[in-house]
Amino acid sequence: MLQLFSSIYKEILIIIRDKAGIAILFLMPMVLIFVMTLIQDSTFRKLDESRLEILFLDYDQDSLGMAIKQGLQGSGFFELATTYENKFLDQELIHQLLNKGKFQIGIIIPNGATNTIRNKAELIVSQAFDSNDSTNINEVKAQDDATIILYFDPAIKNSFKQSVKNSLQNFTFAIEAKITFDYLAEEFSDILSSPNNIYFDPKGSIRFEELYATDEHTEIIPNSVQHNVPAWAVFAMFFILIPLTGNIIKERDNGTAMRLEIMPSSYLVVLIAKALVYIFVCFIQFCLMLLVGMVFLPMFGLPVLELGPNKMALFIMAISTAIAATSYAILLGTIASTHEQAASFGSVSVIVLAALGGIWVPVFIMPGFMQAISIVSPLNWGLEGFYNIFLRGGGIKSILPFVGLLIGFSIISVFIAYQFRRFRKV
Amino acid sequence: MTKESLIKIEKLSKTYKGADEPALKNISFTIPGNEIFGLLGPNGAGKTTTLNILCGYYKKDSGTVQINGYSLDKNLKEIKKIIGVVPQDIALYETLTARENLRFIGNMCGMRGKKLNNRINECLELLSLDKSSYRLVKTYSGGMKRRLNLIAGLLHEPKILFLDEPTVGIDVQSRTVILEYLKELNKKGTTIIYTSHYLEEAEQLCSSIAIIDYGTILIEGNLQSLIKSKSEYSDLETIFLQLTGRKLRDN
Repeated sequence: MLQLFSSIYKEILIIIRDKAGIAILFLMPMVLIFVMTLIQDSTFRKLDESRLEILFLDYDQDSLGMAIKQGLQGSGFFELATTYENKFLDQELIHQLLNKGKFQIGIIIPNGATNTIRNKAELIVSQAFDSNDSTNINEVKAQDDATIILYFDPAIKNSFKQSVKNSLQNFTFAIEAKITFDYLAEEFSDILSSPNNIYFDPKGSIRFEELYATDEHTEIIPNSVQHNVPAWAVFAMFFILIPLTGNIIKERDNGTAMRLEIMPSSYLVVLIAKALVYIFVCFIQFCLMLLVGMVFLPMFGLPVLELGPNKMALFIMAISTAIAATSYAILLGTIASTHEQAASFGSVSVIVLAALGGIWVPVFIMPGFMQAISIVSPLNWGLEGFYNIFLRGGGIKSILPFVGLLIGFSIISVFIAYQFRRFRKV
Repeated sequence: MTKESLIKIEKLSKTYKGADEPALKNISFTIPGNEIFGLLGPNGAGKTTTLNILCGYYKKDSGTVQINGYSLDKNLKEIKKIIGVVPQDIALYETLTARENLRFIGNMCGMRGKKLNNRINECLELLSLDKSSYRLVKTYSGGMKRRLNLIAGLLHEPKILFLDEPTVGIDVQSRTVILEYLKELNKKGTTIIYTSHYLEEAEQLCSSIAIIDYGTILIEGNLQSLIKSKSEYSDLETIFLQLTGRKLRDN
């Protein structure tokens, strides 16, 4: 025990005397979580100050153009620009502005688009009520359909492009349905010789209710903070490998590891002490990142991070992730020949494992084979475990499979490191 | 084990993985107790390999080693208790003070409390580091680091002390302090096995020597007897050059 406590004390002294190292260990993860959560949050949430400006050219100047304009403005995501530097827009100017990357989306509503809808609606209604009318609707459609032109910045993401198209389709369907309905109502009014008192409800009769499949008795509301803080916390914890591999390799290079190995005590004690100290450091990192979510992010208008009712589950999950991160660092520190090798391979491997594990992009939107691969990433196990606590309101039982995987990964990592050390012994 | 053979090495061989030539080729020699024994040789001769095998850091391929009657193969734990090693590298923690380094090393050797503190004070004083013992090692000069490196190897008062080039790259003053201290230590009964490139220093310090080259022991015995054994051997340097030649060694 004397050797263990002495080694722990030595590691603590080395850490606290390295001011730059402390900044990397504690400040950088806080900065990372702060920046990443703010950025990711602003991408998705509805903020007046972050509305996307769309170039909007309405040649129609009728119901369709107005409906699209009102719909886009009313969505809260977009702001419509009809001029640029006091110049009226035209197709050429829109093309140029998007090509230069000054705007991301341009919409051109063609002249007579509403009339096209009206003509088609009139034809459908007249055919429905007049059996002698033999006009083929498909022919009319092919000849007279109006085309709304959508310009996109080539750099825009496909998913975002798709959501803009879906919104526009909703607005056009609604206006088509309304015009057709108005013609039908008028026809009925004529047939029944009574005033037209049928009206079209554009909101429809179907409502949506959002329910979250969380465990009972939880008051956690899923939001960007609940998503991002655990995700980036797992990512940052695995970066413990930079200082820990450096520590192991430095000890090997300057001969202190040799000195310790030829002492009567076991070098394993030194390694265990190192692991315990760095697991504790990881845990402190995690607590600081939670603090960012609970105190600092709300100062910037984001929701407060809710820890949920299962604090013990949270503690177990944090310690398991810290053990996995530390074990991975011990493995790399043992295998790598130089600190440069360990730092560059280690950083890239954590980024790859984070990408695979769903830290950058949710696993469910990955291609099938990537989803299959993602389950081998320890960062995925950490993330899923934390999601069970932070988003699904789960308790200890719900995280046990992930804790098992993380501890199993740690045992295998340390075992490989030990075998490699024996193999490399001269 | 008698005074004449505190360390007994027989047919010791070692070839590094991937190397064409063996680093040690069936070497055999004995080191008497209570002596300062110089293991001398050019770069890459096999000195450090021999020391690292003797202290259990490297594995040998074949041969037997007996230290104080203990077999290296069977009693490594016992051997570790009676040996001290001063490696060629400054094997210290730069961001700890001298005292913190020594306290940690002492604890790792099983020392604690007042006994350890007294021993640390004694060693620091003897090697003139007591006044700077609360400074971080990274602020030390090369000579101070070498002296502290030496203390770290002998803090637990080992019966046998292995020194791998303990005076490399330091000033005359530090070298003198170290050599005087080693002589003092030997007088108190510590057997010292020492490697160096400084033949003058070895001649001044060692009672017996072995010269090793290309993994083979070329000569072994009492230094004064060796010098007297041939008329062309005027000093250690002439013996060394006659046996190892003048060809440059680039390790």
